[in-house]
Amino acid sequence: MAKKIMVASMALAVALTASACGNSSNNGGDEASKNNSSSNTTNNTTASTDNTSATNESASAAKEKVTFSLFNGVANAPDGNTNETTIGKSLEDQTGVNFKIEHLVGDLKTKIGTMIASNKYPDVIDPDAGIDQLLDAGAFIDLTPYIDKYPNIKKVYGPYLNRMKAKDGKIYYLPFSTQVGAYTPDPNINQGAFWVQRRVLKEAGYPKIKTMDEYFKLVEDFVNKHKDENLIGYASLTNDWRFFATSNQSMHLAGYPNDGNVEIDMTTHEAKTYYTNDDTKRWLQALNTLNAKGLFDKASFVDNYDQYIAKLSSKKVVGFFDYGWQIANANNVLKDAAKKDPTQDDYVYQPMPITFDGQPDQLLDPPGFVNNRGIGITVSAKDPERIMQYWDTLLSEDNQILRSWGVKGETYEVDDKGRFFRTPEEIAKIDEPYKLKFGFTYYAWDWPQYGTNSTLSNGNALAPGLQPEVFQLSLTDKDKEILGKYGVKTYAEQFATPQDRPWYPAWGIPKEQGSPQQIWETQKDEVTKKYYPKMVLAKPADFDKVWQEYLGAFGKLDTAGYEKWYTEQIKAILDASK
Amino acid sequence: MEKSFLKKLIQQRMLVLMSVPFVIWLFIFKYLPLWGWTIAFQKYKPALSFSQQKWVGFEHFKFLFQDDRFLRVLRNTLAMSGINLVLGFVTAITLALLLNEVRIMAFKRIVQTVSYLPHFISWVVAAGIIQTTLAPDGIINEILIGTHIISKGNEILFLGIPHYFWGIFGASSVWKEVGWNTIVYLAAMTAIDPSQYEAADMDGAGRFRKMWNVTLPGIRPVIVVLLIMNIGNLMESGFEPQYLLGNGMNVDFSENIDIFVLKYGIEQSNYSLSIAAGMFKTVVSLILLTTANTIAKKTGEARLF
Repeated sequence: MAKKIMVASMALAVALTASACGNSSNNGGDEASKNNSSSNTTNNTTASTDNTSATNESASAAKEKVTFSLFNGVANAPDGNTNETTIGKSLEDQTGVNFKIEHLVGDLKTKIGTMIASNKYPDVIDPDAGIDQLLDAGAFIDLTPYIDKYPNIKKVYGPYLNRMKAKDGKIYYLPFSTQVGAYTPDPNINQGAFWVQRRVLKEAGYPKIKTMDEYFKLVEDFVNKHKDENLIGYASLTNDWRFFATSNQSMHLAGYPNDGNVEIDMTTHEAKTYYTNDDTKRWLQALNTLNAKGLFDKASFVDNYDQYIAKLSSKKVVGFFDYGWQIANANNVLKDAAKKDPTQDDYVYQPMPITFDGQPDQLLDPPGFVNNRGIGITVSAKDPERIMQYWDTLLSEDNQILRSWGVKGETYEVDDKGRFFRTPEEIAKIDEPYKLKFGFTYYAWDWPQYGTNSTLSNGNALAPGLQPEVFQLSLTDKDKEILGKYGVKTYAEQFATPQDRPWYPAWGIPKEQGSPQQIWETQKDEVTKKYYPKMVLAKPADFDKVWQEYLGAFGKLDTAGYEKWYTEQIKAILDASK
Repeated sequence: MEKSFLKKLIQQRMLVLMSVPFVIWLFIFKYLPLWGWTIAFQKYKPALSFSQQKWVGFEHFKFLFQDDRFLRVLRNTLAMSGINLVLGFVTAITLALLLNEVRIMAFKRIVQTVSYLPHFISWVVAAGIIQTTLAPDGIINEILIGTHIISKGNEILFLGIPHYFWGIFGASSVWKEVGWNTIVYLAAMTAIDPSQYEAADMDGAGRFRKMWNVTLPGIRPVIVVLLIMNIGNLMESGFEPQYLLGNGMNVDFSENIDIFVLKYGIEQSNYSLSIAAGMFKTVVSLILLTTANTIAKKTGEARLF
């Protein structure tokens, strides 16, 4: 599953471009923010000079134009040249470099396999889930000798260099989620939450619910009151690699953040899988009860992702658990309808922090560093220097503002206090076609960059969606009303503050191709995908019997070895961050 | 002998020349890649050159046949392609016979068009249609509730019941391909000499008698050739429908060799295992094809070679 969630984090990229507000599950490591905030002032004063010196160095090179090929393993945008966009053109003017981007069509592993077999690569690859394959094949060059030469790259990646090293001590790719400056939390919920239709809360008088039982009771009461509407009480996403949207629920209910397949104890730092523990049993039993009452959507186990999104958009589903980025399409449809017609606000989903017994949730992501995704330069590239130079230029603060906020007076404004904001007209103007043309789509993710939760030297959030002024503008009156009922100003405020977890997210710790850990994950997927539906749909009297069957099947896996490996990895990260 | 062969070759030089490009194509795309079969006997790593690969003999094949999962997917593959073969032939021939008897041209055309249209729908779309139809709130369950066969709240989750999968697969394949498969039989029927029907009329044969004694024997060579070719494809039970309609609940019955190869070979970058499974498929197909052909030969029927 961890592997799959990584894919998910890339789907984030899509979600980022799909929703005006972006929070990735990838935030700079905790140590980094400390380092950064202490050295912030110095860094920031030098940032602009760094930038000019870099451009001076490259002034001679910039004269001559060059186009590099780039393959992106996520099909999140049409193919094209970066210099056909406003951002890319500006970068070409600064560096002389243009990238011809090709996105994935079809199956990623097959595509990467073909590249490896032919030993011909594009100059630059962002291989998403195919990264282990390329590393195995020795497709990437070592970036270590270059990093020192480029001040902006060094500044952004400096705190992470030790974690970026492969087994052989070399650095083959640049990850995307480095924290620069102070940590800006996301006011929206792009991560996990238990969602419920607003009309349910309205009818129940806006109760402050915390526990799983209260949540399911709320759903049940509402469905029973509206028998004639043919409502679906609770749905869950299980399709293909997205199965984690279902299986992660017990981890979150137990008060853990999304570390993938393991829960990590905050004192002993032991990694333990949760698939066979009492929490998972308790949660499956709750779903089983829900199903017996006719409140669980059986089709959850056969629907594909599109059907699931269509269901959520159909206003028939009362409650569900999922990650904000994964349901952005459904949420946007419902929110847009509510913007046009306030009566439709009833059907907008409200995120809730739910745990088993009301213990503090850890649904918001702590600052983290996703280490097993990134962009690298291949052995086929003729001129790595030019590429690194481009990235260095891209990592200057001015260019980060350009790729994130855009152009002053065109896509954002600055008030007299120096705060960045967007006018409602600008927000309306920046739709998908505009984003593509401007380059927001290409540069939202998949490049060396400041992580989403970064803060600029002038105190503004790097990501417009995380800027409080922009967020407040995006709220409808109804949004404000319901937030007021719960005494908060943002959705995120309802949730508990994330604890510091230097290793977060544990699923982002790289695993080798064909390693025992990867094989364990594949087998675990098989067993859970087969038995979870059985357990949920069983007659309540048979539940224990099926649970025992499941334990038997799960017992064949080398779970102890997997946990041991993870515990070692966590220890190593903790030691490195001391 | 030699001479006559040469003579024939020169006589038919135009035909030979015409087939040369295809022979070359066949060689490049079908024979040269066989070199890749060596991967099945290595612990293949993509980045290394041929001489650096580690040879492991039959290890991957051993792993395959000792893996009860593989035996299960083999069973599913054969079952599904068997169902497909029998159903495909019976339904297509029956529909072709019936269409052949239709005298109202407009009606015949409409039926033909309607029945072969689904062939042009991609499996992705078709799977969506099938899933929606079979959903708990889909039309099948609606009908069952409407006719009081099941009560509300006890909707059947068709795709969640493993034993139903082969049936669902067979029915969807027939729906999708039956019209398309009739075309070749209808074409063969037009080649039957009308005087045979007249002679049967004279002997007082009715419609069904004529179908049985004139039409069917008339298209027998076509049936046999297609049958031989399809038997050669028994190891290919398709990929998309199983992949799209399969889920955790019906995996024991929906997973076939192709999906197995994807899951445990390609997705794990274990190319050697994929090739070993592919080789196994090819060898079995070859045996089936030659066997079927030999049987056809022995019984004096039309055959491939």
